[in-house]
Amino acid sequence: MRTLTVVLLLLLPVGVAAQRKTPAAMLRGTVRDTAGAAVRSAVVGVPGTTLYTQTDPNGRYRLAPLPAGDLTVRVAAIGFQPTAKAVTMTAGDSTVADFALVPSPLELTPLDVVSTKVPRFGDRAATSVAQVSEREIDKRAVNTIDEAVDKAAGIQFLNGQINIRGSTGYVQGLNSRVLLLVDGVPMNQGDRGGINWDLLSVDEIESVEILKGAGSSLYGSSAFGGVINVTTHDIPNGIHTRLRLTGGLYGDPPHPVWSFRDNPGLLGSADFAASYGNDEMGARVSGGDRHSDGYRQQDRDDHLHFAAKGRWTTNNTRVDLSGSWAADRYDVPLSWCSRSECDDRGQLFQPFMVDTTERGARTDSRKGYVAAQVRTTVSPQFAWSGRASWLRTDFTDVRRSASEFGIGDRFGLGGQLEARPDTTRVVVVGVEGTLSDVSSDIFGDHTQSEFAAYGQSEQRVASLHVSAGARVDFLAVDGGSLTAVVSPRLGLTVPTDHRERDGGQLRASVGRGFRAPTMAERFVRTVALGLDVVPNPTLRPENAWSFEIGHTSAPLWGLMRVDAALFWTEARDLIEPQTLFVPPDTVRIQLQNVVRARLRGLDASLTAAPLRRLSTTVGYTYLDTRRQLADSASGPLAFRPRHLLTAGADYTLGSAAVGADFRFASRVEKIELEGFVDPRRVAMKVLDLRGSWSSGPVVFRLLASNVLNYIYNLVPETLAPVRTLTLTAVWTH
Amino acid sequence: MRLPLAGFILLVALVGCGGGLEPEPICAPGLVGVCGTLHFRGAIPPQTDNVFVAAYVTFPRTCNDLIANRQPFFPGSVPYTDSVAAYSVGLLPGRYEWVVAVWKKVGTLTATAADTALLRVAGYYRNPGDTSQAGVVAVANGAAAGNIDIVIDFDKLRPATDFVTCGP
Repeated sequence: MRTLTVVLLLLLPVGVAAQRKTPAAMLRGTVRDTAGAAVRSAVVGVPGTTLYTQTDPNGRYRLAPLPAGDLTVRVAAIGFQPTAKAVTMTAGDSTVADFALVPSPLELTPLDVVSTKVPRFGDRAATSVAQVSEREIDKRAVNTIDEAVDKAAGIQFLNGQINIRGSTGYVQGLNSRVLLLVDGVPMNQGDRGGINWDLLSVDEIESVEILKGAGSSLYGSSAFGGVINVTTHDIPNGIHTRLRLTGGLYGDPPHPVWSFRDNPGLLGSADFAASYGNDEMGARVSGGDRHSDGYRQQDRDDHLHFAAKGRWTTNNTRVDLSGSWAADRYDVPLSWCSRSECDDRGQLFQPFMVDTTERGARTDSRKGYVAAQVRTTVSPQFAWSGRASWLRTDFTDVRRSASEFGIGDRFGLGGQLEARPDTTRVVVVGVEGTLSDVSSDIFGDHTQSEFAAYGQSEQRVASLHVSAGARVDFLAVDGGSLTAVVSPRLGLTVPTDHRERDGGQLRASVGRGFRAPTMAERFVRTVALGLDVVPNPTLRPENAWSFEIGHTSAPLWGLMRVDAALFWTEARDLIEPQTLFVPPDTVRIQLQNVVRARLRGLDASLTAAPLRRLSTTVGYTYLDTRRQLADSASGPLAFRPRHLLTAGADYTLGSAAVGADFRFASRVEKIELEGFVDPRRVAMKVLDLRGSWSSGPVVFRLLASNVLNYIYNLVPETLAPVRTLTLTAVWTH
Repeated sequence: MRLPLAGFILLVALVGCGGGLEPEPICAPGLVGVCGTLHFRGAIPPQTDNVFVAAYVTFPRTCNDLIANRQPFFPGSVPYTDSVAAYSVGLLPGRYEWVVAVWKKVGTLTATAADTALLRVAGYYRNPGDTSQAGVVAVANGAAAGNIDIVIDFDKLRPATDFVTCGP
């Protein structure tokens, strides 16, 4: 790793020196829509090169260094038709090029910079990708990142654990089969591998890309079921401030026999951000506080967070520094009250109340990260980037019986070279290293290291786009012997419609994914459901082969566009909790590699714009899972609903807009540890209504989530959110 | 615009209605008798043995009636440590003039009028139209009479003699 750092540091001046040899040209201008409004976050770049940038909140962009001569510059943004323009650049001079984008609700997500791994411009990925833009986050008036991602087709959250096409299931936060990247930096916890969705304020988010299917060939462990890449706002030129205030209240239980308090529960938050930037550098600081009474007994949550970001730009190099820190104190409604566990009022279960023995349970949690990234565009054909990061999570679970604590670190280092030998090909190679440690009374004191090298080539052959890559990961726990995992991948896209733009496309891919056991999974020693949980240091990495074939249609009758994909995953050595019977009468829980599993299904979405002001989306995922145990017993995987449906509609009229979202998930057929928990569970049917109105720099948003106050649970004995009404005001300067 | 909006509403209507978690029915499945909730107030007396619910076809007049005409003759205890408890009591179809919750002190019952020394009237079902009066309950053939709710105040337990005449 030290060698890599030295190489990267050496490359930095080389890049700068290379740029100084010939005076560079600079392109600047604005991107607006046909009504003259600035288009934020539009990608401006030169196809087939390493040169691209994004517009700021005023629609301004600055693209440099560019070579002198004639160039084609392409601009793309979500919800607009992409456009291109030929410009002539003069060495040592700047050129202005303004763009006007035509709104197009059916336009495909541009996917121009899906991740920092393979920046692709104008080409679509060979795997399914869903994108949640800032505009969608705004209009949905959500307060956390997981709430924003939850609305995407094929995605489901189970009590904070994300599932992409049924990848993770639910294992009480002890792992995640989805990798979270924040600006390309891995952010899964070092000890438990889970995701802290409240690490960043939703105000920090510019977009969220969801890569579905195994992504380990580029991203390594945890990218078993997919990757969530969160892109934070860039720092625009000038002074910008933003204040966001939210207030709301929770609905009461729909049946008096379930009521548990006299006054409605309240929630509120305040967030502030300020930034200053110029062409060379910029900085932003933000902070916020959130309080919630919760929607059930013992459900208070207090959250405080700060974040900062800085950038420094020279002609061809950009350095980004970012960090965030958040503290939480939240009550833990561990499970609902079953008969005789509380004042149950004659009910077999009281979903809004907790077991008396769990009264007072709470968690104090702190987490933070710092990250540094550098990217140097040595030439239009060559760029390199490097990053270093440190994520720390610290929790203390306060329980009546005993308290537990854990401190986890994740140190990461990586470097990548990006080459574009010609306009039809891009090659990336890189190395990564991760060192994780944990100090905990339930996980023990341990370290885990991962070293990896990867490469991927994307080549356009006639109208085909072929991508092939592989990654090798070496894993070691507590300095022990190395375990090697190889993850190859092959992808193909074929246009099925040769229109100049927005034609249909067929895609197919096959790849291998894996996930290393987390230290929590290997070494956890605690008590759950009244049973001893014992460690299993011999856990092996999970692995899977994923196949996908999909098609995106061209616009049909000018009204709609359909995307559908068939997916198939064959997984081995899945890590799931199992009960151990120890003679004569002891039962224990242990995480074991016991499952050979199959997940297959259909993922489809439809986007329609029947009227200029009306847009609708429908997404449907059919999931068929099966697991094969050593004793040849089989059945569906736990916590995987067979049907998942999302539907949304938005109507805009001037400065006002209204919308609705509906989510349905069928009742899960199987749960873990059945017989030890209340097996009661129902389907999810949630309707959200929302409206917004803007006046000058202020926008008001009203959100009524779960407006029907449908009472449901997705995991045993854990009530999902009830009707919640929130009003948000955002002032932007 | 009508078509997609109608489609959206239809979609919500098709899959979005009903089916969520519901409270468990108070009445036991297949019950023929009375059922409802007991609302407890006051401090539980230290000598408490149990609390049960009984019913009388006609309002009892004597301590003997209290014991001999009680239905069921051997009533089961109901939970009394929570603020509210559900109860179900199996009865023969008919009309009942008094449904009463009884507190029992620690001690052995003899199924005679002497038992009233160990028993107290804790509360009874009241006429919804005139809460100063006992409510009459009709148990139909093969059915349960629900919502027969009773308030029990442990601080205001009343001896049998407040309601009936007990001989020497």
